[in-house]
Amino acid sequence: MTAALRRWFYDARVRAWISQAAVAGAMFGTIWYFVANASENMVKAGIASGFDFLWRTSGIDVPFKIVDYTPQNNIVDLLWVGVANTLLVSLLGMALATILGFLIGIARLSKNFLLRGLATGFVEFVRNIPLLLFVFFWYFGVIRALPPPRDSFGAFDTFFLNNRGLYVPAPTEGHPFAAVSVAFAIGVALFLVLRAWAVKRQAATGKIFPIWAAGTALIVGVPLAAAIVVALTTSWSVPVRGGFNFRGGFVLVPEFVALLAALVTYTAGFVAEVVRGGILAVGKGQKEAAASLGLTPGQTLRLIVVPQALRVMVPPMTSQYLNLLKNSSFGAAIAYPEIVSVFMGSALNATGQAIEIIAITLAIYLVAGLAVSMFMNWYNARIALVTR
Amino acid sequence: MKALAWARANLFATWIDAAITLACIWVVWRFLPPLLDWTIFKAAWLGDDRSACSAGGACWVFIRARFDQFMYGLYPAAQTWRIDIAGALLVILGVWAGWRRLPGKRYAIPAVLVVYPFVGIWLLLGGFGGLPYVETRQWGGLMLTVFMTVYAGIFAFPLGVLLALGRQSNLPVIRTISVAFIEFWRGVPIIAVIFLASLLLPLILPINVDRLIRAVVGLTLVIAAYMAEAIRGGLQAVPKGQYEAAAALGLGYWRATILIVLPQALRISLPALANEFIALSKNTTLVLIVSLFDLLGIVHAASADPKWVGYNVEGYVFAGTIFWFACFAMSRWSASLERRLGAARSH
Repeated sequence: MTAALRRWFYDARVRAWISQAAVAGAMFGTIWYFVANASENMVKAGIASGFDFLWRTSGIDVPFKIVDYTPQNNIVDLLWVGVANTLLVSLLGMALATILGFLIGIARLSKNFLLRGLATGFVEFVRNIPLLLFVFFWYFGVIRALPPPRDSFGAFDTFFLNNRGLYVPAPTEGHPFAAVSVAFAIGVALFLVLRAWAVKRQAATGKIFPIWAAGTALIVGVPLAAAIVVALTTSWSVPVRGGFNFRGGFVLVPEFVALLAALVTYTAGFVAEVVRGGILAVGKGQKEAAASLGLTPGQTLRLIVVPQALRVMVPPMTSQYLNLLKNSSFGAAIAYPEIVSVFMGSALNATGQAIEIIAITLAIYLVAGLAVSMFMNWYNARIALVTR
Repeated sequence: MKALAWARANLFATWIDAAITLACIWVVWRFLPPLLDWTIFKAAWLGDDRSACSAGGACWVFIRARFDQFMYGLYPAAQTWRIDIAGALLVILGVWAGWRRLPGKRYAIPAVLVVYPFVGIWLLLGGFGGLPYVETRQWGGLMLTVFMTVYAGIFAFPLGVLLALGRQSNLPVIRTISVAFIEFWRGVPIIAVIFLASLLLPLILPINVDRLIRAVVGLTLVIAAYMAEAIRGGLQAVPKGQYEAAAALGLGYWRATILIVLPQALRISLPALANEFIALSKNTTLVLIVSLFDLLGIVHAASADPKWVGYNVEGYVFAGTIFWFACFAMSRWSASLERRLGAARSH
């Protein structure tokens, strides 16, 4: 080897190019090999390719859906049924797991020995057991073991719980509760306006406006009022006991109830640890400093502890939410019709087009995960420490 | 008097505290005795079939009758000693590699990561060296759970190290590929990955792949992506001066990485690695959707047997107890590592 060639060969930039080209080449080679095999095997097995199958009539019935769908609809509509069911159980699960997790996390820091012990026991119990076991336990061990419809547990003669699910009243037509989300948006907007005004006034005059009480009243009160108005003005279909089963109302199927219960109890154990870590991360000196400034305990909690604890909690909470979203796919194990079960299960059995169906399913999870992390990153940036 | 003072400080400090204490006592009093009755005092322990069980308590006879199946699956009864030896070997090597006080770590870790996989396969699968062949279709129960967890972990570890290094690399192509790979497998549910592996592997490879291998491949990809993130944390925690000192000594990338950076980074990331491993070992239970019967899967299947129908909760409690002890022990080990690491770094 000549000296020039050797110098060229030992140049860091040349080396960088060579190694990157080698890795990229190996990767594309592998992918090409897989694709070649796949197309050959698909021809051999007579599997069609392309996305035309999405517009074929599905012929698949789904026992639980919150969007309009019949087996005469096409496969794209079936996909939406799955997406809606996944989102329903995930969003509800996130909300409930957050509430339960906060309560348990705070209980773990309680000065009360018994309460702390119970909360710690719950967390240690939950975190070391597979989620699938929870799902099975709630489904086969609890919900399926409930009494049959004629011996249901009832509340106010409108809600009934038995081994066929949870029966709740439903509006007879349309979606009148859309008005509630509009009212919620209005409440939030009013709160933001009010807060801007209160901040300005405090800066100018030093007078403190009870913004949190007013804000809670607006954000909770406005939608609540709207819900009451809607509930009183629409006609309801209330579940009524028939011969062997209930008629009317809306059934939350056992699969849904069990999956939700499993996701909430399991995730709450992890959320509790995040909450505890966040609160412990706020230094004692912060609380003492706040007290010496003359802030009340309530103000200390609201203005000093919570903002700093939130900053620590947001990244791990994001990953808990993402986990919950992905874990909603455990519903496939008990045939709750979420994406994996209706699309990777039923639709794939009906069409046989594995590659397309898997690609679509994974893409949906990646997009949904991206949406959750973008929202949480935006929130994180908002509450992040601003330094000079 | 001391007890009274303690109770006053810890249970009845304020009126609210007292109310909480009473509520907790009520919860314990209401739920603990029936639970103990069910699990212990009214439970049936002895017998051969369900006639030995009564309505008031648990039917542990079910576990007793099916115990071998829960441990070994459908593995031929005359050959189960092979599983026992493989398991004992795993425990011995694991303790040797994981317990600080034992000497010879430089042999223990290669023994677990390199030698054991071959010995384990030979013992379990057989087919040569005097052991009759047992096909993977007969594997099941706890043995399958441990097998999948250990092998997926062993395969995932080197892949995770490479991905973490790739993500920290300053070569853009390699970094992009690593980031895409890690984020892709972390972003999709593990159940979908197991489906994917079991459906796509036979399509994209010219040969037919064993069902168990497909599941292990799927698990490996996911575990590797999560491990890579844990190791990246360790790599970022190694002070920059270490990289610079290695470069100043004239070490190239690979030698600097293997001799200087990785030993420190891996030690730092060990607790995080262990936590990822615990989280994912719980998810091996999902293989039951591709009809592999791991511990939970076989318990679930056995409780659908007409002979034992209605005793599924006993089965879940049994499987849950095993998982709980295994995961709890691992998490304690990881926590003690973390504490020691913290103490060592604060000097």
